[in-house]
Amino acid sequence: MAVTVLLPSLLAEQAGGQRQFELEVPTVGAALRALPVRDLLFDERDELRPLVNVYVDGTDARERGGLEAELEGGETIRVVAAVAGG
Amino acid sequence: MGLAILVGTRKGLFVLRGDDDRREWTVDEPLLAGWDVFHAIKHEDDLYVAANNFVYGATVQRSSDLGKTWERSEQLELPEGSELTLEKTWHVEPGGNGTFWLGGAPGVLFRSNDKGASWEPVRSLIEHPTRERWNPGAGGMCTHSIQIDPENDQTMYVAISAAGVFRSDDGGETWAPKNKGTAADFMPDDPFPEVGQCVHKLLLHPAKPERLWQQNHCGVYRSDDRGDNWERLEDNGLPSGFGFPIALHPTDPDVAYVVPNGDGENRVTADGRLGVYKTTDGGQSWKLASNGLPEQAWAVVLRENLAYDSLDPSGVYLGTQSGSVFVSPNEGEEWIEAASQLPPILSVEVAEWQ
Repeated sequence: MAVTVLLPSLLAEQAGGQRQFELEVPTVGAALRALPVRDLLFDERDELRPLVNVYVDGTDARERGGLEAELEGGETIRVVAAVAGG
Repeated sequence: MGLAILVGTRKGLFVLRGDDDRREWTVDEPLLAGWDVFHAIKHEDDLYVAANNFVYGATVQRSSDLGKTWERSEQLELPEGSELTLEKTWHVEPGGNGTFWLGGAPGVLFRSNDKGASWEPVRSLIEHPTRERWNPGAGGMCTHSIQIDPENDQTMYVAISAAGVFRSDDGGETWAPKNKGTAADFMPDDPFPEVGQCVHKLLLHPAKPERLWQQNHCGVYRSDDRGDNWERLEDNGLPSGFGFPIALHPTDPDVAYVVPNGDGENRVTADGRLGVYKTTDGGQSWKLASNGLPEQAWAVVLRENLAYDSLDPSGVYLGTQSGSVFVSPNEGEEWIEAASQLPPILSVEVAEWQ
């Protein structure tokens, strides 16, 4: 079963205007890497950028094992920019 | 012909549209909202933008339809063994034969042969033997100036703060420091080092390409031999040698404009005013050319915040961190405020716009 990934508006614009993605993927990391904005989420060394937060059904993905967290299907993954800066 | 000022700000790219008179300008809704637009150019029909985001990193974005839609270049990557990671994109410059060049931090250069779809790091600069003597300026260690000789695109220059000026005579294969005579007063033990100078902006004169100008942390300089030697231009009418941007004249190589700061410790315009200074004699003397600019101001004017056009008379364009764009349609004789209340301005460029 697919998972749903929701992007904030700035990333959605960079994804050609698409805000919501339905993906058949086994892990949180696989979901993020399948997006057309992968390069904005991960740096050139393939590390998740430090101010990108990821929530799975409302829980911080870090609490579920981070990028390796397994998905059963049906989850909603929300990408949120950390509230920082000016 | 229509003209546009491409105004890069902390909150997107603003396009100011005007006509040949350059006295009336309209401000369009911002493009790339949410991005720090460090630099934007229009080359032929395409816009190229060095766009950075605090959360999502450093990018180059291209539009082939005047900003209606954008394509982001492939992920910018520095060589894995270099132990460097890309911090910011700073400046895009078209070269010869369809080549584009991209400057960034930390002191890096990229080349594109596919109109910015992908970029290759220029290892000869990234692995330059003097790199260990380079240091970041207050804005990071940025490659902010890229100049190509219009008569021979194998000759090119980059300027890095604070590493200095480098020239390549082989299209970017090798680079030689070109800092002879430029001071690094902030290094009292070695005030004229081979590298480490804090050059703020470097420009080549398009009609006399052996002539270079630079606004440096430590003075304004001119070179008449492709950077081999530099002459410091001071005690000649400028209130200070410290400033960031510099602009030239499209046909007269003796004309230049600068915006001095009071000093390097409090980086606002000198004498409590927004003062543009102009030389018409190759920098031997400078005069205030600020008719129409605010007479009481402590403005912050960054390194990309001056531009000039190729019309006759030439127009000069000035942006401030307080969100104003000023235009002189007549080579500094008078200035008009083309826009105000924009977000902090990082860059201005002028382009033809239909």
